[in-house]
Amino acid sequence: MDWNEVHRRMELAQASLGHTVDPTPGEKKRILKERAKVLAQEPKVEEQECIEVVEFLLAYERYGVVSSYVREVYPLRDLTPVPCTPPFVLGIVNVRGQIISVIDIKKFFDIPEKGLTDLNKVIIIQPDSLSAETPMTSVSGPIGILADVILGVHSVALSQLQPSLPTLTGIREEYLMGVTTERVVILDARKLLSDKKIIVHEKEE
Amino acid sequence: MLKKEGDFQKRLLATFKVEAQEHVNTISSGLIELEKEAAIVEDSGAVRKKGEEIIETIFREAHSLKGAARAVNMAGIETICQSLESVFAALKRSKVALSPELFDILHKVVDFLSKLLSAAGTGQGAEERLRISELTRDLESVSKGGPPLHEQEESKNEEQETPLETIPEVRQPSNEDADSRTSTEERPALMDTVRISATKLDSVLLQAEELVSAKLAAGQRAADLRETGILLHAWEKEWSRISPHVRTVQRSFDREKKRKGEGKSDLPTGRILDFLEWNAGFFKSLEARFAVQEKSAEENRRLLNGMVDSLLDDMKKALMLPFSSLLEVFPRFVRELSRDQGKDVEMVIEGGDIEVDRRILEEMKDPLIHLVRNCIDHGVETPSERERRKKPPRGTVTIAIAPKNGSKVEILIADDGTGIDAEKVKSAALKSGVISQEEVRKLNEQEVLALIFQSGVSTSPIITDLSGRGIGLAIVREKVGKLGGVVNVETHQDVGTTFKITLPMTLARFRGVVVRLGENLYVLPTTSVDRVMRVDKEDIKTVENRETISVDGQAVSLVRLGNVLALGTKKVGRSDPDKVPVVILGSAEKRIAFQVDEVLDEEEVLVKSLGRQLSRVRNVASATVLGSGKVVPILNVPDLLKSAVSVPPTRAAATEEVETKKKSILVAEDSITARTLLKNILEVAGYDVTTAVDGLDAFTILKMGNYTMVVSDVDMPRMNGFDLTAKIRAEKKFAELPVVLVTALESREDRERGIEAGANAYIVKSSFDQSNLLEVIRRLV
Repeated sequence: MDWNEVHRRMELAQASLGHTVDPTPGEKKRILKERAKVLAQEPKVEEQECIEVVEFLLAYERYGVVSSYVREVYPLRDLTPVPCTPPFVLGIVNVRGQIISVIDIKKFFDIPEKGLTDLNKVIIIQPDSLSAETPMTSVSGPIGILADVILGVHSVALSQLQPSLPTLTGIREEYLMGVTTERVVILDARKLLSDKKIIVHEKEE
Repeated sequence: MLKKEGDFQKRLLATFKVEAQEHVNTISSGLIELEKEAAIVEDSGAVRKKGEEIIETIFREAHSLKGAARAVNMAGIETICQSLESVFAALKRSKVALSPELFDILHKVVDFLSKLLSAAGTGQGAEERLRISELTRDLESVSKGGPPLHEQEESKNEEQETPLETIPEVRQPSNEDADSRTSTEERPALMDTVRISATKLDSVLLQAEELVSAKLAAGQRAADLRETGILLHAWEKEWSRISPHVRTVQRSFDREKKRKGEGKSDLPTGRILDFLEWNAGFFKSLEARFAVQEKSAEENRRLLNGMVDSLLDDMKKALMLPFSSLLEVFPRFVRELSRDQGKDVEMVIEGGDIEVDRRILEEMKDPLIHLVRNCIDHGVETPSERERRKKPPRGTVTIAIAPKNGSKVEILIADDGTGIDAEKVKSAALKSGVISQEEVRKLNEQEVLALIFQSGVSTSPIITDLSGRGIGLAIVREKVGKLGGVVNVETHQDVGTTFKITLPMTLARFRGVVVRLGENLYVLPTTSVDRVMRVDKEDIKTVENRETISVDGQAVSLVRLGNVLALGTKKVGRSDPDKVPVVILGSAEKRIAFQVDEVLDEEEVLVKSLGRQLSRVRNVASATVLGSGKVVPILNVPDLLKSAVSVPPTRAAATEEVETKKKSILVAEDSITARTLLKNILEVAGYDVTTAVDGLDAFTILKMGNYTMVVSDVDMPRMNGFDLTAKIRAEKKFAELPVVLVTALESREDRERGIEAGANAYIVKSSFDQSNLLEVIRRLV
């Protein structure tokens, strides 16, 4: 056994140990500063990944719309049906002097009717005023979406959103932002507002 | 933090774009003006002075734009404005002469500026930067009195590139305010105007309009109080009749009391008499108080009436803008368009200071652009062609606005071109198939001209991007019609064509006939209603299996409005079995009678748009809010007349018979949609349905009518479904009446409670489906 070699290595280890255990004052300051810097950073990552969602109940299923698209929730009192419109247009209501059309997203998405519900609320959605792209691309103004009950405003982490489910096909998927772990279906209000399919425009023959 | 700052930048940029577009518009119209002045040969002092003023204005505008661009870091625009400024500085000092080349380069600069503004870009792209430096060098060169450096090669590129792209930009005037647009005329004092966003103004107007319902409610309240007051009078009458008897009883009681001695005053008779005396006094004071309240309610109503009316009036005035705010983009538009087509056209605008509702102006923008484009495209000839026809080489397109009959404006769009060839219109209409050969032969000249407003009729031999597809004029007619106006055309071969548009000045109320179909109301504009009448059933005769009636000895076909609107044939409510109410729409040869359930009233209505989602609905033009607060669709009469032709013939007798056999069901449900859904399901299944909004309402209705069954929700205000059922069972005559509860309550306890109360069936909403309900009902009735 080469004791010299062993001693040399032990000394080396000793030296490096002493070095880390007892850093010079200048070194200490540098390390502390660096740590402070890391701690001082805003934990922005988590905040940015959340969206605020207005959740509502429709035919015993939970849906959500991103809250920046929701102008207001209005109690449904008097609905005037408009003849010669597709079935998903339920009628029009007067909201402080403005006529707003009310649509049934169940009919629009061809979701089979299930049960009888108390459609008592209208969620009025409109293009997000702050977002840059919407004013240009949205083709319809404010639209009312029918709902049974408003469940409240919740925060949903984007990372939690599942893109869609394989069984949800066809027209539904296009308008879906995703499904949360609580199985709330988040609708893409921007898509809804910018889709020409929702516009009723009959050409003059 | 970052996000907020980004939002702020975005908003700032949006504000800048609005402001900048205004500056550019002012510069552009200033240039046109200046060009006109420069063309005047005589060198009078007045002309020179006017020219100097315009130069000064443009100089100032360029300067402001430069400052604004610097604030938002738009270096490109800043650089251009800098050079523009130096050109006008040179012009001010008369160091440079106004030459056509100079104007060309200036117009090019203005075009480029608005292109930069309308694009989302910031002028920082490589291509844009190149163009900027070219333009800047040109400007620098001309400001020193030299020739533009890039003029030669540029002009070729320009010709191919600008025409079509610049048109959308021309259409971008923000109609938001008028004040800063009059810069070439006299500028008003600074503090006289404020700038306010159009959306804010609209929201205030809508709220002001909503006050009308508060006004109507106050009127209703006052009327209610008046009626209650009358009821009080009835009490007084009754009391004055009975009081002599009360006094007699009182006297005999007093005598009795004296005879029997004191101490017996607490006998029942005595106490009743005391009460009656107190009662009379109490009622009298109540009456007096009531009279005061009635009076103040009436005063309130009058006050509110006056206030709301004058507020609405002022609000409407606040929304009026002069036509010039819309028309100021037109000179440049005409200049470009005519240059592209090798034509020389002067634009004349008259009456630009006449004010109309801002919303009307906005709607008229596209129609006017279509019409002016038509004038240049189809009307005005090329200079050589004009000279051959002994006309001045320079054509004129005039837009003249004049007030008419107080509440209307007339817009004339005229050109001095070839005029419209009626023969060409005829053949084009035949080719497109909107009319048949024999129909054409019957038309007079005016009617032939009217064909150009039909969709698909175009006399242009080639389809260009600008026109020729034949939809422009159809859109013009539709837009004008929507605003409650009319458009006419007059033409003379080789003299020119004039389009005449008559519009209301404000989106004021128009009169409409309110009709009822089932439970829904509809409004028909009075102007298109020929007459309203009631027809005897015997007078309805079928011709070729279609029903007709006779009006003034003329056969007029009769259709059901419900069928035309595809609403189904059911009839609700009382109506005279021998007389049928009809509304005759259209005019002259084209009259059609529409059968309705009832003609209610003629009302003044305010037109409201259906919103962008319902951009065009067949048969429905718009909506209005009636005095009662009810939203009602306004029907589109031209559409109705068209739709009526394609409705399959109805046989009146067959449907009538079924109706009498119908079983009637009362539906109690507080949610409006569930109520409507239930009603629809039951009606489709052939039942006659009456609805109630809660248990109490249902019970009241039930007692008045004759029903074979009640379908009720459980959770309702005032009286719930359990209580309603119990109450029904408590009445002897309803003991056998079937009651079906439809409810969201699923628990066994609730179900038992329902059965206990006496319900015959209990359907849970979450498992509800139509056939289930109908099956249950069929078993019970």
